[in-house]
Amino acid sequence: MKIALFIPCLVNHFYPEIARDTLELLEKLGHGVSYTQGQTCCGQLMTNSGCLDQARASVEALGKALLKEPCDAVVAPAASCVVAARENLERLTSFEDFHSLAGKIFELTEFLHDIAPLDHPLKPLRKTVSLQMSCHGLRQLGLGTASELVVARPVNKLQALLSRIPELTITQPSRDECCGFGGTFSVDERDISGKMANDKVADHLATGAEAIVGYDPSCLMSLGGVVSRKGIPLEVMHFSALLNQVT
Amino acid sequence: MSQTHARKVETFAADEARVDWHSAALLALRDKRDLQAKSLPQWEQMRESASRMKLYVLSHLPELLEQFTSNCEANGMEVHWARDAKEHNEIVASILKERGKKKLVKSKSMLTEEVHLVPHLEKHGIECIETDLGERILQLREEPPSHIVVPAIHLKKEEIGELFHEKIGTQAGASDPTYLTHAARESMRQEFLSADAAMTGVNMAIADEGAFVVCTNEGNADMGAHLPDLHIAVMGMEKLVPDADSAALLMRMLARNATGQPSTSYNSIFGAPRPGCELHIVIVDNGRSLRMADRRHAEIYKCIRCGACINTCPVYRRGGGHSYDYFIPGPIGLAIAGDNPEANSEAWACTLNGSCNNVCPVKVPLRETIAYHREQLAQQKQLPYHKNAYMPLAGKIFGSPRGLSMAMTAVRVGLRIMPQILQRRIGGWSKSRDFPKPPAESFAHWYRKNRGE
Ligand code: SF4
Repeated sequence: MKIALFIPCLVNHFYPEIARDTLELLEKLGHGVSYTQGQTCCGQLMTNSGCLDQARASVEALGKALLKEPCDAVVAPAASCVVAARENLERLTSFEDFHSLAGKIFELTEFLHDIAPLDHPLKPLRKTVSLQMSCHGLRQLGLGTASELVVARPVNKLQALLSRIPELTITQPSRDECCGFGGTFSVDERDISGKMANDKVADHLATGAEAIVGYDPSCLMSLGGVVSRKGIPLEVMHFSALLNQVT
Repeated sequence: MSQTHARKVETFAADEARVDWHSAALLALRDKRDLQAKSLPQWEQMRESASRMKLYVLSHLPELLEQFTSNCEANGMEVHWARDAKEHNEIVASILKERGKKKLVKSKSMLTEEVHLVPHLEKHGIECIETDLGERILQLREEPPSHIVVPAIHLKKEEIGELFHEKIGTQAGASDPTYLTHAARESMRQEFLSADAAMTGVNMAIADEGAFVVCTNEGNADMGAHLPDLHIAVMGMEKLVPDADSAALLMRMLARNATGQPSTSYNSIFGAPRPGCELHIVIVDNGRSLRMADRRHAEIYKCIRCGACINTCPVYRRGGGHSYDYFIPGPIGLAIAGDNPEANSEAWACTLNGSCNNVCPVKVPLRETIAYHREQLAQQKQLPYHKNAYMPLAGKIFGSPRGLSMAMTAVRVGLRIMPQILQRRIGGWSKSRDFPKPPAESFAHWYRKNRGE
């Protein structure tokens, strides 16, 4: 498939290794991958606070950058940014091409699970990881079945992907509760947000895992912040790092 | 303008052990709810049916109200319509005063909190006794509820023991829940026997029967309503359902979702006054029809007040029910009143995680309604936490690839050279978390160098 990478601003500047892992992984899987300069932000910093008008310029700039190269699918290693990009391209712009672009943006888990299913043989990896099923991916993108729902056959797409790695042990925290990041919530509501992040890290630690692995870099940044502050012996990583390592 | 939500939680949040205890108590309710919901494989279909039924009600209110009213009257009840809180309180006061009533026992009703009924009646010299145990505790403490189903969930049994010792003479230091509940029952029994009027809320008002359902766990509503010769039931007009089947559907979900019981212990259907007694119903609008006119706000009136969205809310559990301005806390409170500019930070007391949407038995779009309030307040320039100042600026920077790149690079470089000890003093984010250790170059930069344009 011909893939255009959407690398959200946080990943671009703070976690470039997630972008490189995603790029290399998709190439190893046989896709043609391109990245266009000039990408901005999905607009969620503004729209999460209700400031739709302030997000429009950023969303339009992002749309323009992504349209520079023709592609079959746009893939991003960040769930909440995918949710926001899709929603904002639809509701904040009136350009037909932006609307059809919105329909082909996929989060990496979703892409590897539903669009171009991962069927490569993977190298074994001896490690115990705890899955961070962040809310936008879980409840908006349906990357898993949230614990509130009564469903005969619950799914977990991240687990399905990672369980293809031989010798990898996968655990999960006792609850799929929000980690407390929430964009500017993490600054505005510092006490509650900090407590939620601390509780989430404790829940991951209690699984006995060596690493927290997730699909949302912003939540991982928040959990990583607690791990660093408290000197907790846990690695915090995006799942693209794991997959790239074993592909 | 009132204090921000972030400021209001500070005291509660400072006692971490208490936060953990509070959170665990509510999570226990959430866990029991999950067990009960999962015992019905058709749960998700029931949610969909209940949601559609309530949408039908909201879109057919005038007919249903008239049908309900005429059927109630045919059954011998007296029905009153109140435009707002003031009218409601005046109607209730005059019913009581005209009959020379002096003492009212009431079961739990969120509506009476909404319209501030009790202070109004007290001004008229009418004594009001709360008979729901939790509400009674709060009445004795002169404190508002912190939850709509378990109103005294913020109190520990030792605190209730102390209160009862002081107010109803239980043994000093006693905190055994069974002992305290018995003592409360004893003291409440006296109140029931000496009351000359009773008030209950309404869980479902059945239009085609002219009857209404009251659900409690303590039987206090029934005890109250069956002793004196006057029963007044008060309801918001959204409590209507078309028929008994619809009421039954909600009854199957209400207690399961609220407290994880298959059913509330007492479910009474009132269809007519007892011989020689009077039964009055007061139906209240109080702003509801106005809000229902806004499609993006209307669905809050599907709510059946089970409280499950509150139990699952990670912010509520860690901030406590008294950290909100509106008397209903948590997601449903924010969805109802989060657009009030006076309490303007409230709509931001939410991470938009969406767990509330998923537990709601009638599919109230809580997350979307809260987000809608933010949009409205943003348009009115009523943003909290300095957002009025920095959001337009952020919009400009993020809207320009060059501007964004320069700003992010500045932050990156700033964090690389600023010693961690100073970073930790910035506050906000860094109050409990370190900033990430930024890399030397961005991905865009690396890509240009290694892969070309
Ligand atoms: S909004 Fe839904 S979950 Fe919340 S109290 Fe109302 S019915 Fe219950």
